[in-house]
Amino acid sequence: MTSPSPAAPATEPGTAPAELIGRSPGQLMRRRFRRDRAGVVSAFVVVFFFLVAVGAPLISMVYGKDPTTTYGLNETGLLNQFGYPVQPNGGISGRFWFGLEPTLGRDVLTQLAYGIRTSLLIAAAATALCVVTGVLVGVTAGYLGGRTDYFLGRFIDLLLAFPQQLSFVAFTPVVYALFVSPEKETPTYLRVLTLILVLWALGWMGLARLLRGQVLSLREREFVEAAKVTGASPWRIITRELLPNLWTPILVQSTLMLPTLVTAEAGLSFIGVGVVEPTPDWGRMFANGAKYYESDVTYIFFPGLAMIIFVVAFNLLGDSVRDAFDPRTRR
Amino acid sequence: MRTTVNRRARHAAVLAAGALVLSACSSGGGGGGGDDSSAGPGQDKNVSSNYSLGSASDSAGPAPEPAGAKEAKKGGTVTVLQRDAFHHLDPGQIYFGDMLISQLLYNRSLTGYKVDENGKVKVVGDLATDTGTSADGGKTWKFTLKDGLKWQDGSPITSQDVRWGIERLYASFETDGPQYIQQWLSGDGTSYRKALPDGPYDGKHLPSSVLDTPDDKTIVFHFLKPHADAPFATAMPNIGAVKADKDGKQKYDNEPFSSGPYQVADYKTGKSLTLVRNTNWNPKTDPIRHQYPDKFEISFGHQATDSTRRLLADQGPDKYGMSYTNAVAPEMVQKVLNDAGTKNRRFVEIQPYLDVINFNMDRLKDVRVRKALAYAVPSGQIIQQIGGATAGQLATNLLSPSIDGYKPTDPFGKKAKPNGDPDKARALLKEAGKEGQEIVYAYANTDVQQKVAVVVTQALERAGFKVQKKEVDSNVWDNSIGEVKNGFDIFRTGWGADWPVASTVVPPLYDGRVIADGAQNYSHLNDPAVTKEIDRVNAIPDVKTAAPEWQKLADKILTDDVPAVPTYANLQFSLWGSGLGGVKYHPVYGYPDPSSVFVK
Repeated sequence: MTSPSPAAPATEPGTAPAELIGRSPGQLMRRRFRRDRAGVVSAFVVVFFFLVAVGAPLISMVYGKDPTTTYGLNETGLLNQFGYPVQPNGGISGRFWFGLEPTLGRDVLTQLAYGIRTSLLIAAAATALCVVTGVLVGVTAGYLGGRTDYFLGRFIDLLLAFPQQLSFVAFTPVVYALFVSPEKETPTYLRVLTLILVLWALGWMGLARLLRGQVLSLREREFVEAAKVTGASPWRIITRELLPNLWTPILVQSTLMLPTLVTAEAGLSFIGVGVVEPTPDWGRMFANGAKYYESDVTYIFFPGLAMIIFVVAFNLLGDSVRDAFDPRTRR
Repeated sequence: MRTTVNRRARHAAVLAAGALVLSACSSGGGGGGGDDSSAGPGQDKNVSSNYSLGSASDSAGPAPEPAGAKEAKKGGTVTVLQRDAFHHLDPGQIYFGDMLISQLLYNRSLTGYKVDENGKVKVVGDLATDTGTSADGGKTWKFTLKDGLKWQDGSPITSQDVRWGIERLYASFETDGPQYIQQWLSGDGTSYRKALPDGPYDGKHLPSSVLDTPDDKTIVFHFLKPHADAPFATAMPNIGAVKADKDGKQKYDNEPFSSGPYQVADYKTGKSLTLVRNTNWNPKTDPIRHQYPDKFEISFGHQATDSTRRLLADQGPDKYGMSYTNAVAPEMVQKVLNDAGTKNRRFVEIQPYLDVINFNMDRLKDVRVRKALAYAVPSGQIIQQIGGATAGQLATNLLSPSIDGYKPTDPFGKKAKPNGDPDKARALLKEAGKEGQEIVYAYANTDVQQKVAVVVTQALERAGFKVQKKEVDSNVWDNSIGEVKNGFDIFRTGWGADWPVASTVVPPLYDGRVIADGAQNYSHLNDPAVTKEIDRVNAIPDVKTAAPEWQKLADKILTDDVPAVPTYANLQFSLWGSGLGGVKYHPVYGYPDPSSVFVK
């Protein structure tokens, strides 16, 4: 333990000044957040997206279509001989609210709902894993310092040096080959698990680095010194003294990480190591839309719009959360 | 001919891969219905009835005037936009569509293909006065060179130059070109190289009992076996003349010495190639080529979307632009078709490449199961995925429409039910007692093939199969399916014949004796009756008599053995600038032909 000389006796182990009314920082944060209109709206939007993701089967049931049926191929008159919707605006009609997918003729609305489901599930799981790992490694390295810090730091350097996309492309087939018999189809759950794992394995280092730095500066502060002097265990110091001060970077980082991982997952699907047809995927819809836009611009419209709204809302939410936590940074 | 599998394999595989990419790029249209009937493919110029052997008078120059020749004038620069850089300029090394088309401008072979404005193809003498005379039941072929043939430096082209051009193909660095003539002369596989290990470079030559040049004008081939289709084999670009003192071995790849109407002026490997007029080329000797423009400026690195946009915009030098192999990009097909201004500067033509879905007969032993698969495969929907009406045309039997003797037989009723017949398939499967049969379907992991996998899986499941989809990295796809023990039940392959005779299709694909890793009998069909029939038809000395026999054999294979189900013939959709005239389709190579192009 590299503890400096004990400082003046601490007044109280509590964290924030609570002079007049006696609100906890959490209460203060919630009050400030509620006053931030953009933050509240984007919170609702984000919640809406998660609801869509969770409720995709429900939407499909109520709406009466499913994402895998190739309506345009099963029925004549929906797609023309080049595989594009016959009706204007990408085949939008009372029957297909968001239109039809070119060439395969599937319903865009359910494709999108299920695609969001796939992408969000993968990204949320990977984000959660990344945050947990990042916090664990970052705080450990920062608090323990010394040799532990050195080795963890070099390990992080090593992982950061991996070219991400390339490693994904190289490792996923190996994983599949390990777990799947050559005569069987790779099950979708394995693809999803693999994706989560690779996104996680190469995604947590940024947060860990950031937190290590924060902890390094925090652990020299008086309140930590004070806690040490009063004989608090390292566990108590980390959970009670350090973590509450780290919530801001953790929250901000994870709200930024999630949309990044959504796009990363989309990119992986695009280069063929992500989920494959016929599992609906937001990223692949986007990639296909970019291909078809010259002839069927409507197809990219809904997935694109959804993606933009989602990413903007999530970033705004991240901003608002940070502002609410730390009003001094408010612009 | 069975023996030439390896080299042809490469040609077909790579070309088919190219065609796959291209057809992947040639899906199209969309955004509203509209009048689609006018948008479909034009007149089909790639049918067997259009092929014939030309006479000596057909072989005499000059070449017939191209369509719209009144506007033709000398001069101008043609811009050629290509996606991939040429691997080779050396005619001995050329085997891929883009380079085959390009070499027409600077290289002449013994024979060549004369294409008229209606798309009729005649094999004619190019350097030779005619398509050769055979003796000895087709084992000996004699060609006589025309008078007045000159190299780009003005020196005469003699039979010694042709001999040199052929003998250098025996050298170890000549690996990428066709090997028909070498193998016919000196032995199967790569064993022919032993006849002349270092080519002619050490001063050694093939004995006159193999390749004879009795005088300056005559060249005689003595093949090991009869080969009725020799005039087709000598039309490959490597069976031409190479001047010995200009032959820098590997260096010849960057500075081929021209016998055609154009010569290399500037070549930046991987970037651009400029061809300028060869003033010593004599039009009176050439029945195939013209020399209208001053220059061809070929540049590489243009994706299909890029080239299509530029040619559609029709501005500046692009007005005089074309592309040998870039098809109209998928997303722009409808746009191009709907633009009335492109009507006279585009075509959609059938290529010699035929796509099939192979059934691995080592694993699917019950013919009823294979029949059920053949009925179930939704060819029409597959075409929809690869790009629709301008990318593929429904195929009904195992020969491409370009093959001599082709008849539109349709044993599996694909014309009537292009999207498969699940009921019939289900009944067959029931009869075989194999309902719920598991099928391992392998596909190259590209976005187009993923979609094809969706429709194939759907159709097979409707017919009562269970499908295990295996995606294979597209870079190793060719190798994976080429392995005999690949573990897959069904997978797609494409095949393009080097010339429109079925002896370049049926034997390599369906002869049981050629099953090997990397060989093209992907279905592993090993039927003694088929093998016997192949030998019988191969021995027929006359190409035209053999042609209907090949079709019969192909149909017998398809109905009795069902080693594969045909899906579609590839189409080429080309667009060029409004300032160009004389662009015509080359049905043998499957791309637009630059040899009679002029600047208006």
